[in-house]
Amino acid sequence: MLSFFKRKKNRVNQQQPKEYVFASQSSVLMDHSLSKNLEDIKRITGNSPDIVIRKVKIGHHATHEAAVLFVKGLVDSQTVNDLLIESIMKNSHLHKKLHLQDIVDVITNEVIPLGQVQSMRNQEEVVNSLMAGNTIILIEGINEALTAGTQGGEKRSIQEPTTHVSITGSKEGFTESNETNIAMVRRLIKSPDLWMESMTIGKRTKTDVSIMYLKGIAKDDIVHEVRTRLKKINVDGILDSGYIEQLIEDETITIFPTTEHTERPDMIAGNLLEGRIAIFVNGTPFVIIVPAIFVGFFQTVEDYSIRFDIANAFRFLRVIAFLISLIGPALYVAATTFHQEMIPSTLVFIVAAQRESVPFPAVVEALIMEITFEILREAGVRMPKAIGSTVSIVGALVIGQAAVQAGIVSPAMVIIVSITAIASFATPAYSMAISARLIRFVFIICAATFGFYGLLLALLMMIVHLCSLRSFGVPYMTPFAPFFPSHFKETFFRRPLWAMKERPQLIAGENVIRQGENQKPEPPAAREMIMKDKEKGDEHES
Amino acid sequence: MEKAKISAYQLFTLLLLFELGSALVYTLANGAKQDAWMAVLMAMVGGFCLFFIHYRLYCYYPNLPPMEYMQMLLGPVLGKIIAFLFILYFMYVAATILRGFGEMLVISAYPATPIFFINALFILVIIYTVYKGIEVLSRTSEVLFFVVSLLAVSIFLLIILSGNINMDNLKPVFEEGVSPIIKTVFTDTLYFPFGQMIIFTMILPYVNERKKVKRTGLLAIGMSGFVLALITAMNISVLGIDRTTRSPFPFLTTIQMIELAGFLERLDVYFILLVTLTAFVKLSVFFYVTVLSVSHLFHVKHPSHLAYPLGMVVLFLSMAVASNWTEYNQEWFKVEYVYIDPLFQVILPIFLLIVAFFKNRKKAV
Repeated sequence: MLSFFKRKKNRVNQQQPKEYVFASQSSVLMDHSLSKNLEDIKRITGNSPDIVIRKVKIGHHATHEAAVLFVKGLVDSQTVNDLLIESIMKNSHLHKKLHLQDIVDVITNEVIPLGQVQSMRNQEEVVNSLMAGNTIILIEGINEALTAGTQGGEKRSIQEPTTHVSITGSKEGFTESNETNIAMVRRLIKSPDLWMESMTIGKRTKTDVSIMYLKGIAKDDIVHEVRTRLKKINVDGILDSGYIEQLIEDETITIFPTTEHTERPDMIAGNLLEGRIAIFVNGTPFVIIVPAIFVGFFQTVEDYSIRFDIANAFRFLRVIAFLISLIGPALYVAATTFHQEMIPSTLVFIVAAQRESVPFPAVVEALIMEITFEILREAGVRMPKAIGSTVSIVGALVIGQAAVQAGIVSPAMVIIVSITAIASFATPAYSMAISARLIRFVFIICAATFGFYGLLLALLMMIVHLCSLRSFGVPYMTPFAPFFPSHFKETFFRRPLWAMKERPQLIAGENVIRQGENQKPEPPAAREMIMKDKEKGDEHES
Repeated sequence: MEKAKISAYQLFTLLLLFELGSALVYTLANGAKQDAWMAVLMAMVGGFCLFFIHYRLYCYYPNLPPMEYMQMLLGPVLGKIIAFLFILYFMYVAATILRGFGEMLVISAYPATPIFFINALFILVIIYTVYKGIEVLSRTSEVLFFVVSLLAVSIFLLIILSGNINMDNLKPVFEEGVSPIIKTVFTDTLYFPFGQMIIFTMILPYVNERKKVKRTGLLAIGMSGFVLALITAMNISVLGIDRTTRSPFPFLTTIQMIELAGFLERLDVYFILLVTLTAFVKLSVFFYVTVLSVSHLFHVKHPSHLAYPLGMVVLFLSMAVASNWTEYNQEWFKVEYVYIDPLFQVILPIFLLIVAFFKNRKKAV
C-alpha cells in the first residue's frame, strides 16, 4: 500500500551525491622526518591532549630519535610502560650498532614482546590504528610506523543479564566488548566449524562488527545475504546493535521486529546450532540473531532445559498472554458498546451498574487508562531508582483507586488494563512486546467504531501483514505459513529433546539432521539388576 | 505472470476455504428439502467432473493462464472477447459476494450500520491483501485454515453437546424420489459453491508441485463438500426443514440455538468469525483473479497497481447489483443460476476443452 510513496523517495535519494558527508580516503604516506610526522598527527587529531607523545632515544649510544604515541585510556597503560617503552629503551639487541633500515626489523622481531606488531605507511591507517587503541612507534629517518596492539582500558566485567532473566540457566551475560562476547560463545561451542568474519562499519565510529555462524549448518545463501547487507551500510555512526538491526531488516514499514537480539551467550549458542547467524556489535551487550521468525519471539532459552510438557504449556501461555495484551481492551470496548448480548446477563448488570456513573463512553475510558498506563511505564523506565517507588505509589493509589472512587473510570476497566499490562510483560522478547503495546491502540479504535467486525478486520489485516513479512528471505510466519509439519513440531511446540531429530528446514541448509537415532533414554533392564544384586547379596550372606 | 510459487498444501487451504466461504452462510439445496445434504454430496461429485475439465485444460497448458490460452485456442479476436466476458463475470461475482456478506452482517449483527461502510472496510483489507500478491494470500490462507479448523471443530462439538440435534428431522429420506434432488443439483448447488472453482484455473499455473495438483484439488473439493453436507444436515436436524428453508442464514440460527452450561449461549460471534474468515479468502481469491485477468488481457506490467482502482469498481458494483436483499436473492435464482453460471462455469470450459483437444491432436499428428 505504501510502496507508492516508497518508490518516489528512493528516486529522490538517488539524485543526491553519494558520500557527501564522509571524508575522502587520503593516500598521504608517512614522511622520513620524525618532526614532520608528529606535526601531521597533531594537526589531524587537533592537538588533542589525550594523545600522549613520548619521545625516546634508542639504539647504539641512544643516537636515534624516536617517539611512542598512544591515546590515554584506550591503551592498557601497564603493557605500554612495561613491555613497550621499557623494552625499546633498554633492550640489548638495540644497543648493537645497526643500520637505520634494520632497526624496524629488530624492533618487530626481537624487541617488543607483544602479540600484534606491524608496520604501516599510509598516514590515515596509522592515525586510525592509534584511535583504535594501538600504540605507534615512529623513528627518525624511517618512513614507516610500527603499531603494537595494546588495546585495553576499563571494561565492564561479565555480569548477570538484566533483560533475559533465567531461573535455571547460566548467569553469564554479554558485555560491551566484542572480544569477550565472542570468547563466551566459543567457550560454549568448541567446534572449529564456528566461523567468524569481522568488518568495520560506520565512517566515523569505525565500529567493529562480527558475524558468526556454524559452517555447514547455516545456509550459505543467508550468510552471504547478511554479509552483503552489512557491507552495504554506509553511515556515519553505529552506536548500538539497534542501528544495525534497522539498517539490515527486510521490510522497513512494519511494526514487528524482523531481527532478534539477546544478552545471553547460551541463547546465541542455541540459535547458532539451529543454523542462525549472530551479529556482534562492539559497544553493546545485545547480539543480533537473524533470521528471526514470529514464533521465535515467544521462546526462551529455558524452554529447552526444562521438561518438554512444561515448556510447551508455558509457550502456549505466552502466546495467549500476547493475544490478551493485543486485544484485551479492544474486546472489552467492543463487547460493552456493540455486543452486550454476548456477555452473560449477570455480568452485564454488574458492568452496566459500574458504568452508570462514568461520564465517558467505554472507548474514551479505555484510551485514558491505557495512555496513563503507558506514561507511567515510560516514566518508570527512565526514572532515577531513588524515586522509583514514588511512581508506583502514585500510579497504584492515585490513578487506580482514586480514579475509580472519583467515578472517572469504572473498576472493570481498571481490571482490564491491569491484566493487559501484566500480559504484555509475559512476552519474553521486549521488541515484540512493545509492538503489541502500540497495535493495541489501533485495535481499541477499530473496536470502538465497528465492534467485533472492526476488530476482526484489523486482526485479519495484521495476519496478512505478518504473512507478507520475511526475515532474510525466510517467511516470518513459518512454520504456520508456509506450513512445515516437522518444523512446526520443533518451533511452535517443542518435542522431547530425544525426538528433536531435525533442524528448522527453512533456516538450516541441507544439513538438517541434528542428532543420532535412538536418543530416547531407556532405563536398564531394572529387574535383572535387582535380581543380580540379590544374587550377590545372597553370596555375601552365605 | 507474477513471479510467485505456491505449494500444493497452500492450494488445498485456498480451495477449501474458498468453497466454504459464503456457502456456510446460505441455505444450500433448498429444493431437495430434507435430502439437501445428499444434494450437496451429489453436487460435489459434479464438482469433481468440473475440476477434471479444468485440470485437462491445465494439462494442455500448464504454464499459461486461461486468459492467454483462450486467445491461442480461439484466435486473438474471439479469445479476447471471451476473456473480457470472463473478467466481467469474475468482477460481477466478486461484487455479489461482497454484497451478500455485507447484507448478512447488516441483518445479523449491525442493523444500524450502513452497508456501504461494512463493504468498504472489507474491500480495503482485501485490496491490501491482493496488493501483496498471491504468495501472501496463500500464506494467509494457511494461517486462517488453522483458525477456521479450530472454530469449526469447536462449533460442531458445541452443537452436538447442546443436544439440539434431532435426527428425525432428516427423515423421511427420498420422500419424493431422487428427481427433486437431481434437479436441485443441476439448477443450484453445482454452481454455488462448487462451480465457482473456475476461478482457480488462473491460480493453478502458480503451483510448484504439478503432480500433486489433481490429488490436492479433489481432496479439497471432497472435504469442502463433506463439511458443507454436514452443516446442511446439522441445520436441518436442529431446526427442522420448515425453519431451515425460511431462515435466511440457517447456520446462524443453529448456532443461536446453542445453550450450554448456563453461560455458553448467544454465540453469534462464532458465526461471524467463521463467515468473515472464509468469505475473506473467497473474495480475496476472486478479486485477485479479477485483477490478474485484467492485467493479462490489457498487458499491465504490475497487477498490484490495479488493486485500488478495481477495488473501488467492485465496491461500487456491490452497491449497484441489487437494491435490496430480496432483489439480490431473486437475481441469484432467476438470472445467475439459470443463465450466467452454467455458461461460464460449464459450457465455456467444455467448449474450450473440445477446441484444445482437437488443436493438440492436430499438433501431435
